[in-house]
Amino acid sequence: MLLLPSVVVFALFVFWPLGRTLYLSVHGNDIFGAPSAYVGADHYREMLSADFGRVLATTALFTLFSVLPAVAGALVVVLLLEARIRGVRVLRTAFALPFAFSVATASVIFAVIYNPAIGVANGLLGAFGIDRVNWLTDPSIALPAVCAATVWMNFGYNILVLSAGVAAIPPEVVEAARLDGATGWRLASRITVPLLSPQLFFLVVVSTIHALQSFGQIHILTKGGPDQATTTLVYSIYEKAFAFGSADFGAASAQAVVLLVIMLACTAVQFGILERRVHYR
Amino acid sequence: MTRLRLRRTMAAFVALVAVAAMGGCGGSGSDAGGDALDAPGAEVLEKATGKTTIEFWHSMKGPNAQAVDQLVADFNAQSGGKVEVKAVFQGSYDETIAKYKASVQQKSTPALVQIYDIGTRFMVDSKQVVPVHKFVEKDAFNAADIEPNIASYYSIDGKLWSMPFNSSTPLLYLNKEAFERAGLDPTKPPRNLTEIGELAKKLTVKDASGKTVQYGFGAAIYGWLLEQLLATDGKEYCDHGNGRTGLASKVQFDQETAVGVAQWWTDLVKGGYATNTGRKTDDAQAAFKAGTVAMHLESTSVLRGYVDAAKGKFTVLTAPYPKVGSSSAGGPIIGGASLWIGGVGHSAQEKRAAWEFVKFASSPAAQAKWHTGTGYVPINAKALEEQIDKDWMAKFPQFRTAVDQLHALPPSVASAGCLLGVMPQARKASEDGLEAAIVGSKPAEQAMKDAAASVQGAIDSYNKSVG
Repeated sequence: MLLLPSVVVFALFVFWPLGRTLYLSVHGNDIFGAPSAYVGADHYREMLSADFGRVLATTALFTLFSVLPAVAGALVVVLLLEARIRGVRVLRTAFALPFAFSVATASVIFAVIYNPAIGVANGLLGAFGIDRVNWLTDPSIALPAVCAATVWMNFGYNILVLSAGVAAIPPEVVEAARLDGATGWRLASRITVPLLSPQLFFLVVVSTIHALQSFGQIHILTKGGPDQATTTLVYSIYEKAFAFGSADFGAASAQAVVLLVIMLACTAVQFGILERRVHYR
Repeated sequence: MTRLRLRRTMAAFVALVAVAAMGGCGGSGSDAGGDALDAPGAEVLEKATGKTTIEFWHSMKGPNAQAVDQLVADFNAQSGGKVEVKAVFQGSYDETIAKYKASVQQKSTPALVQIYDIGTRFMVDSKQVVPVHKFVEKDAFNAADIEPNIASYYSIDGKLWSMPFNSSTPLLYLNKEAFERAGLDPTKPPRNLTEIGELAKKLTVKDASGKTVQYGFGAAIYGWLLEQLLATDGKEYCDHGNGRTGLASKVQFDQETAVGVAQWWTDLVKGGYATNTGRKTDDAQAAFKAGTVAMHLESTSVLRGYVDAAKGKFTVLTAPYPKVGSSSAGGPIIGGASLWIGGVGHSAQEKRAAWEFVKFASSPAAQAKWHTGTGYVPINAKALEEQIDKDWMAKFPQFRTAVDQLHALPPSVASAGCLLGVMPQARKASEDGLEAAIVGSKPAEQAMKDAAASVQGAIDSYNKSVG
């Protein structure tokens, strides 16, 4: 009885949309996007193509190169900030600052930075006599450029979580290690990082899900281009369903189901493999 | 995933509310049956008690939005309290048509909506709108003043389906000082792509370190520009006479002319004579405004912004849109957007009110204001005779090019533009093809062929659902 409110909310906001997505994924559409005839697994069969394979590969690369650098980079910064240097509070705040930006704001800032004609990035390169780089219009550079923007956006949050983790390490453990002669690298690798493993695990799982769902920065920076180089699964779903007057909700729903399966698989794997190495206190 | 779910859920709620609302008022405002798409006469408003309020969905931003608001305010003021139009901005053209599709499902369409040219076939097939020619016949309205080149886009079998509202033509933009520095005569602009290619080499400037500081050519990878080039070569973009003798069943942007354009563009970029700023028109515009591009293709609708941005830096010149080759004899397509009057789910008063506004908006006085306030070409030929328009053309002679270009050629099938239900997707596919060629991931011919093939599924399924 006490569960009823949450059951109702879940049914309305999770199970019903999920059921609806499954239903739409096996139906065709009329020109307004309303479901029409039952088409079986047609939409799923359409996905067995080189184009969709490329979308999946892009999604994997984007996830890998936006999650790992952001988590590893934040870890390095947090460890360095442990050093007792002047102005460490200012630095910590500065590093955590990206957290305060919304995806849209940050993307617009990066769009200006990457602008081919008036952007800061090319301006800096120009100052060193290096020719313009087509950050968002060269297919081999666009994906790394969008990843870099994403890493920056996620950096602040990662710093906050890891800093809190470091602060929660009992001082007596660190002190004992120091008395035993552990300093610098040894202290970090044997004591701090293992004790941070719950936070690191949390960040990897959450940022992977987050990366798989990323939309704003891609939409604002590249719209999935150039030449499909930044079309991730979520962006492909958006294009099928809403972009260019397309209202192919059937194909979009089928892709959404695939995304759901991928996310479940990723999370299951992470819990199965990584979690065994997590040290919970 | 969450985003999509959220949108679905929201759509579901809206649908629920809409269903409840409809159940509640028992079809009071809507007239059922075949007469939903008829054009009522002026008497329905005269007999009506109280005020008729209608919604007008549009996609105009910035100064153009102010011009819309002014137009609506002028109309409401002169309607004597009988009609009130409420202008509602719905986002980009793509977003507006997406919302319109949703509103059809929810049975809550606006009485008046501005839809881009490439949404024309869809609007006809939606069976939701009263064709404008029915009102024209009812009122014996003089449609002869509507520019024939513009009206031909929105006409099927010679019958006007929607009223053109904002029309633009493409232009060739030149940086006058860049021409002079290179020892070229800016009063003799290039007339075709070959000439642009030759001049681009002379107009590309490198500094001492070998860095390019000015490119000869630069334009956005924008499918519209390709559509225009095909039209200047007299080529049809899709089959069945550009979709005007029957439903188009395939796109033809993999034909020789289009492949030639892709190859030409690719060669310029590869040779370092053109900059590739990608698909975003904003970025290509920024490059021209910054003076880093000497020749540039864009719509007339940005001219005003260019003139303002270049003030004190360089002089913006305009020239007729280039043709593909020296033997090309066609002219560009006069695109833009038009106004559609909602029929299904709207009372006779609402339909009439929408038509009254459409008439007002296309009058010479309103179009002269619109022309001078936005830079779109006037859809009513008489607007050019209004005093404010004459003064303005004297002040900004660059705008003359667009009007001259509009009058230069009689309407043809190629310059009427392609009617295709999934035209927005076809345009996107052509951009995929152009981009793949320009960035060098595929040879031009293969790129355009693959792109044309990629939209076939969407065309087939569209034709199946309306056929």
